[in-house]
Amino acid sequence: MLGPKIKLEKELYDRVKKFSEVAGYSSVEEFITHVLEKELGSVDATDSEEEIKKRLQGLGYLS
Amino acid sequence: MRRHLSTIALISVAILFFIDAQPAQAYIGPGAGFAFLTSFLTLFASFFMAFFTLFTWPVRVIVRTFRHRQAFQNAKAKRVVILGLDGLEPTITERLLREDKLPNLQRLKQDGSYSHLQTSYPAISPVAWSAFATGVNAGGHNIFDFLARHKQTYMPELSSSRVGMPKRKVSFGKYEIPLGKPIVKFLRRSKSFWTILGENGIFSHVLRVPITFPPEKFNGAMLSAMCAPDLWETQGTFSLFTTDSTVDPNKEGGDTSIVTRHVNRVEGFIKGPENSLTKSKEQLRLPFVANIISDNEVELVIDKQKIVLKKNAHSEWVELKFKAGLGIKVQGIARFYLLDTNPHFRLYMTPINIDPEKPALPISFPYFYSVYLAKLQGKFATLGLAEDTWSLNEGVLSEDAFLEQAYLIHEEREKQFFHALGKTKRGLCAVVIDATDRIQHMFFRTLEDDHPANRNKETERYKNVIEDMYIKMDDLVGRTMAQLKDDDFFFVMSDHGFKSFRRGINLNVWLKENGYLVLQEGVEKSGEFFQGVDWSKTRAYAFGLAGIYLNVKGREKLGVVHPGADYDQLKAELIGKLSGLKDPLTGDVAITEMYDNRKIYNGPYTNDGPDLISGYNIGYRISWNGATGVVDDVVFDDNTKAWSGDHCIDPKLVPGVIFCNQKIAAAKPGLVDLAPTVLSLFGVKKPGYMKGCDIFEPSQRMANGKTPTVVEKPADSPQEVVSLGH
Repeated sequence: MLGPKIKLEKELYDRVKKFSEVAGYSSVEEFITHVLEKELGSVDATDSEEEIKKRLQGLGYLS
Repeated sequence: MRRHLSTIALISVAILFFIDAQPAQAYIGPGAGFAFLTSFLTLFASFFMAFFTLFTWPVRVIVRTFRHRQAFQNAKAKRVVILGLDGLEPTITERLLREDKLPNLQRLKQDGSYSHLQTSYPAISPVAWSAFATGVNAGGHNIFDFLARHKQTYMPELSSSRVGMPKRKVSFGKYEIPLGKPIVKFLRRSKSFWTILGENGIFSHVLRVPITFPPEKFNGAMLSAMCAPDLWETQGTFSLFTTDSTVDPNKEGGDTSIVTRHVNRVEGFIKGPENSLTKSKEQLRLPFVANIISDNEVELVIDKQKIVLKKNAHSEWVELKFKAGLGIKVQGIARFYLLDTNPHFRLYMTPINIDPEKPALPISFPYFYSVYLAKLQGKFATLGLAEDTWSLNEGVLSEDAFLEQAYLIHEEREKQFFHALGKTKRGLCAVVIDATDRIQHMFFRTLEDDHPANRNKETERYKNVIEDMYIKMDDLVGRTMAQLKDDDFFFVMSDHGFKSFRRGINLNVWLKENGYLVLQEGVEKSGEFFQGVDWSKTRAYAFGLAGIYLNVKGREKLGVVHPGADYDQLKAELIGKLSGLKDPLTGDVAITEMYDNRKIYNGPYTNDGPDLISGYNIGYRISWNGATGVVDDVVFDDNTKAWSGDHCIDPKLVPGVIFCNQKIAAAKPGLVDLAPTVLSLFGVKKPGYMKGCDIFEPSQRMANGKTPTVVEKPADSPQEVVSLGH
C-alpha cells in the first residue's frame, strides 16, 4: 500500500529512470524502494522464534 | 433479511463489474483486514459500495473507453487461455501420450505444439510461477524459495508476503484495538504481465496462480493462491480431536486436542486465531458438541449449526465464527472428517480457511470477487496450499481421504475456471491447478516398488493414482478446448516436472563436517533454524529448499567472510567440493552441480538471494531436517514420508511441459518466455527488463534455441547481467 509521495528534481528523476531501466527494475518506484530498503537495512526483526515457526507451520515442503 | 439484502448488494456490484469488466476499487468496505466489523457495518458498507459503483459506472465506462481505445489494435489474439497444471512431468506425460491415454493433449500436440519448458532456478513453484508472471528470473523478481532468511537473525520468513498488525492501537480495559487494517505486504518484485496488459486496457482473470497473496490491484479479477494463510496465520494447520490421551500430540502441521466423552456426547472446542483485540492475545475458542448417533455417524453441533458427519467422508464447508468481543467476529471455514467413534472418538478438521464470503485478509481482487464466487458457487478453499499433505504424512488422514480432499478442492477450481472462461470474451484467462502437484508429492512412491517410503504402507491399491490423475487432467484439457473459439490461443503448461524423492541430504551437516559451519561450544545438535550455531565462526549455511548462503561480513549481521576475493574463493571451493557429491550408501552422484548465483541470475536482486543453488540429482532433495535448519550428525538419510516425490532438484533434470494450439518457434522455451509471449499476442510492447522472448517469433532466438546471451560484467556493478541458460 503506497503512502506519502516524495518529489524529486526532474534531472535526478531522469537519471533515476534511466538507471532503473538498465538495472532491470520494472519501474522507477521499484528501484527507489529497493535502494531505500537496502540503505535502511532490516532492523525490524521483532518476531519471536515461536511466531516465526507458527507462520511457517503446515508448509508441506518442510517438516 | 440483512443477509439477503447484503447478498443482493454484492451480486449487483459483481454483475456491474463483469458487464463493465473494469477494475473496481479494491478494499472499499467490509472485509479488509480481520473482519472486525459488525453485521450492521457489513450491510451498510455493502450498500455503500453498491451505490457508489452504480453511481459512478457510466463515468468510469466513458473514461476507460477513451483511455483504452488503443487496446487490441495490434493484437494477434482476442483471447488467451492458460491452463497451468502444476508439476506435470514430461516423462509421465510422454509415456501416456504414447499409450494413447491422453487424447486431448495428443490432439493439441499434433495440431499445435508440445515441448519441454525450461524451469526456474531453483525448480520450486513460488520461484517458477513468479518467473511466469514477470518474465524475469529470481534476480529480477526476488523470490528464490518459499523462505527468505533474515540477515540480522538468520531466521526464516516467508519470501512472498508479510502480514502484520497496524502499529497504532487504542487501549481500554482488557482491550487493545488496532487502528486500521492489517499490514499485508506483497514481496514479489518486478511486474506481472497481467498488470501490464491491464495498463493497456486488456482485462485478465488470474485464478490461483502461486505467489499472488496478497492480490495485486490491476485491470482484472484475481483469486490469491500460495502462500495465503489460514485463519491461524499459518500455512495450514489441521486439527485432530480425540478422546485418546495416549496419542502423540506432536503432529507436524497439526494440532491435537483431547476431548471429553460422556456416553455418546463428546465435548471440545475449536481453536481459532489469536484475539488481536485484547492485550492478552488469547486464542479464540469455539465450543462444539459431537453426539454419537452410531459407530458411523455423528451429529456435530457448532453454534446453532448441526452437521451430520458420516465416517470416512468429508463434510461440506462449515462456517466457524469466533467471537472476539465488542460484538466482533472473525469467520473461517473448515471441513470435517469423522475418523472413528469407537473405541476412541477421532475427528479431523482441515486448516481453518479464510471464509471467501467474509475474508479476514485480502484473498481476491477486487475484494468482492471471492464473495461473488462464493455466493454463486458455494464456499471454497482459500488456503494457499489447500491440500492437507501433512495430515497424510502424519497418518491422520488415509490416502483415500487425502485424495478425496484433493479432488474436492480440484472440483472447486474447475468451477471457478470455467466460470471465468465464460466471462472472458476477450483478454486473458489463466488458472493454475494444484492437484497435479500435491497428488504427485504424496503418491510418487507408488511408481517405485523399492521406494523407502513404501515401508509399512499400502502400495498396490494406489499404483494408478498418478496415471488416473493425468487422465483426469487430459479430460479437463478436452473440456476446455470444447469452449475455445478458432482464434483463441490456448496453452497448457507446467512450472516444473516431478521426480522421486528417495534420499534426503542435510547439507548443513556436510558443511559442519567440512568446517564451514560451526556449532556453539558444547552443542552437538542444533535446534530448528540454526539454534546453537556459532555464527561468528560459520562461513556457509544451507537455507530453504535449495540455497546455500555465505556468511558475508557487512551483509549478514554476524558475517565473517570478506566480500571480494575471499567470497569468490569460498564459493569456488564449495562448488568444487559439492558438485558431484556422492551418496556413500549407494555410490550414486547426489548433487550433479552447484550453481553460482551470478551465473544463473540477472537483475537487481541477484545478491539478495542464495549465493549457491544446489542441483540435487534425481532421487535426492534436501532432507527434512536440512530444510528446517537442524544440524545434527546425519548427512544422508532415507525419505520415508508419504511426501515421496519432489522437484527441488537440479532444474535441468526437471523441466515442465508446454502444449499450445498453435505452432511455436522456440526450440527451448522457458518460463520467462511466457510473459513476453502473451504481451506480444495482445500487441503490447515487451518492457526492456524482460529478457525472455516471444516463443512464436523465431527471429529472436539463436540457433541453439536459447535466448540471446548478454555480456557478463563485474558482480558489484549494478549493471551486472549474466548469460541466461533459462
